[in-house]
Amino acid sequence: MRTLLKLLSAASLVAALGAIPQIVQAGGVLRLDEVAVGELDPAKATDYADSILMFNVYDTLVIPQQGAPGHDPHLAASWSGEGTSFTFTLRDDVTFQSGNPLTADDVVFSLDRMQTIGQGLSYLFVSVQGAEAVDAHTVTFTLSEPYAPFVSSLVRLPIVDKQLVMANLGEGEGEMGDWGQAFLSQNGAGTGAYRVVSHNPQEETVMEKSTSYFLPIADAAPDTVRLRYGLEAATVRTLIAQGEHDISSQWVPPEVLGALAGTGAQLLTEGGVTGFYMKLNTTKPPLDDVNCRLALAKAFDYEGGVKIIAVTDEVSQGTLSTGAIPAAMLGANPREKAQTRDLDAARQHLADCKYSPDEFVLELTWIGEVPLEERFALLMQANFAEIGINSDIRRIPWALFAEQVSNSETTPNVSQVYVTAVTGDTDTLLYGMYHSSAAGTWQSPEHLNDPEVDRLLDAGRTGATPEDRAAAYSALNDRLMAISPTIYAHDSQSVFAASNRVKVPALSDPAMAFGLDGFGFTFRLMEMTE
Amino acid sequence: MTPTILIFARRLGTSCIVLLGVSMLIFAIARVIPGDPARIALGPSATADQVEKLRAELRLDEPITTQYGHFLSELAQGDLGISLYTNRPVVVDIAQFLPATLELIFVAGAMMIAIGLPLGIASARYRGTWIDNSIRMVALLGVSAPSFVWAVILMLLFAYFLPLFPIAGRISDTFAIQPVTNFLLLDTLIAGNLAAFGNAAWHIILPAFALALSGIGQTARLTRANMVETYDKPFIEMARSYGVPDRRIARRYAFKPSLIPALTIIGLDFAAMLGNAFLVEAVFAWPGLSRYGVSVILRKDLDAIVGTVLIISATFLIMNLIVDVLVTFINPRIRYARGRS
Repeated sequence: MRTLLKLLSAASLVAALGAIPQIVQAGGVLRLDEVAVGELDPAKATDYADSILMFNVYDTLVIPQQGAPGHDPHLAASWSGEGTSFTFTLRDDVTFQSGNPLTADDVVFSLDRMQTIGQGLSYLFVSVQGAEAVDAHTVTFTLSEPYAPFVSSLVRLPIVDKQLVMANLGEGEGEMGDWGQAFLSQNGAGTGAYRVVSHNPQEETVMEKSTSYFLPIADAAPDTVRLRYGLEAATVRTLIAQGEHDISSQWVPPEVLGALAGTGAQLLTEGGVTGFYMKLNTTKPPLDDVNCRLALAKAFDYEGGVKIIAVTDEVSQGTLSTGAIPAAMLGANPREKAQTRDLDAARQHLADCKYSPDEFVLELTWIGEVPLEERFALLMQANFAEIGINSDIRRIPWALFAEQVSNSETTPNVSQVYVTAVTGDTDTLLYGMYHSSAAGTWQSPEHLNDPEVDRLLDAGRTGATPEDRAAAYSALNDRLMAISPTIYAHDSQSVFAASNRVKVPALSDPAMAFGLDGFGFTFRLMEMTE
Repeated sequence: MTPTILIFARRLGTSCIVLLGVSMLIFAIARVIPGDPARIALGPSATADQVEKLRAELRLDEPITTQYGHFLSELAQGDLGISLYTNRPVVVDIAQFLPATLELIFVAGAMMIAIGLPLGIASARYRGTWIDNSIRMVALLGVSAPSFVWAVILMLLFAYFLPLFPIAGRISDTFAIQPVTNFLLLDTLIAGNLAAFGNAAWHIILPAFALALSGIGQTARLTRANMVETYDKPFIEMARSYGVPDRRIARRYAFKPSLIPALTIIGLDFAAMLGNAFLVEAVFAWPGLSRYGVSVILRKDLDAIVGTVLIISATFLIMNLIVDVLVTFINPRIRYARGRS
């Protein structure tokens, strides 16, 4: 026992000596966190963490314009085309992190790889028949039918280094084996401004500034980035307060964000392409009657909902919604037309509904993995009770929810979902929610089947000019408000607490923001102040 | 064959049968949890075609008995499948995460023994005094609050208000240690980097202590109870009448017989910590197997669930085996009684 105590004392002494390096703040090192896991393979990227990795390790042909709608060429020097054919001319000064030059073959390979693997956001490219390398720096995409959001979809087609991947093919069927999935799940193969130093999908990805990037990177941009996964809110709060962490994830509860802001942390925001929706099952009584749906939409306390997610008096995790389309997107209503509660109108709609409130009890659900939704379920219950509608609240795990919504009979009356336009285009927000061919997924528990909505969605998808598309989506917005398959609770805004060691213009100045979720975390555009 | 080897062989055989049973049970249970693993793995944006394709790749469209057959044949080759959560072989994940948890548990276990046993002995030795009462109160506190509550309290006290210890992780960013065993305390020593070893030890103290507190309390209470009972035995009375000093009686005559029940509980606690470590790992951002296990269950990552449960069960059985052997070693009566039976 005495020997053991001696050993423990010795270990404590060495431990105390080891403590010294920790006190020194890491200079030029950006530390942030996200929910696990970080998917490094760009063909499988879907979540926020995956997007952060993808936008920094890889580049795309186009990127969203900063502070304005539309896209700028990026790996492409220019592009032309419309309808079913688009031709891109590539920059000739780009090399991959491996040293290989970027060519049109890499673009063709990246598309083939994404379509063959068929995971992640590959569904964005189902209408693309193929890509062809016209010469070393020219590539042509051919579509099976006109698809107006094609160019915006390209922000989700990261270009991978064909030579490097081909040299690291794993086992699998055919000559392409696993298409480099095993390799790319652990290594980067992009042209991005940051290269992967180490990657553990559940713990941490470490990246460092690339020395061969084709665009200038400011000296103040972080030299090293440590993206940690799965930190608890209490841990993040303590780490930021102690100066050991720089940017929290958006999943930290508003109270914790508020507490950090109270101790001097800055609040960063990103929004505009995500909505928080109360989905109403339009196929089951009583919500198969449009008047019952409108009664709920009018009874909902929109301002109360935004207060629930307020971080401070000035910053909230959401803003009042103006309709089906978040206010910054194509076809949205102006901000002045924010939705308001109208109990008289709600009672009138309820009186016009063919179902009497004493004939039914609404089933309100919230996703178990998103505790914040419970508060909205309680808010709805209280709001609906004011017009005489009784409801039960049920917690439902995500896995069960995704299964239940595949059948209109098992889909709850009311479900809560956040939906993001993954390319920033209105099509990727609304088509999956409301087109009758897409009913019965987690995005579409409304099971809506409305020919007018289908027609307007198709018009928005094939519109020849931005003006045509805006007109189609504006009409669609009106139609959706009239038939109310959803309560458009609020336009969601991601809020991050950050130390004052870092400046992130894209997340703090609306004039520098990008209309694409996750793109604000482009590290080369950040500045470390210490 | 000696009785000890016989007992060991018999327990080993039983353990293998238990493991097979566990594999069947968890294989079936993992498949009846609501939710489609392919849908969850591919994320909310996946199309129905993508989901169907992955279901076929995972053989989810085959009968469960066929699936289990495939699982056993792959297991025989050391292959536990691919995790849909991390997109890596489950074996690679376990090899990476298990050492972090084991390291945490070993240090917590060492604390449990190094602190719990002396506290129990002192409490029994000074029965009825303020020392006894204080120790009993501390032990009760340790037992009554779960580990994650201690984790948050310790973090607030010793990392936030009084920043003596680090908040998260296994080692500071400033150290780059080449993994050899993935036991960081060992790897830093192998690398000959004493500063890194100190830093890793410094990182493990709070989470290990939070995890050990309940066990420390339990060990102290159990040791005290057993020793108090032993102190009332006639042979202790006889030793006293012979004038044997109190310290010698405590160490030589009272402690050894009291150790056997405590050892059994310590062994079980040791194994139970594998499961309890989850929230402590979450609070301290400790990249261990418990956190991985909960994550894969939430994502219905079939191969990873089965792999993780099997490894935890195997560890539990191994700990039991070790405790059995130790108890048999300490008490010859048990050895011979079991040998005869």
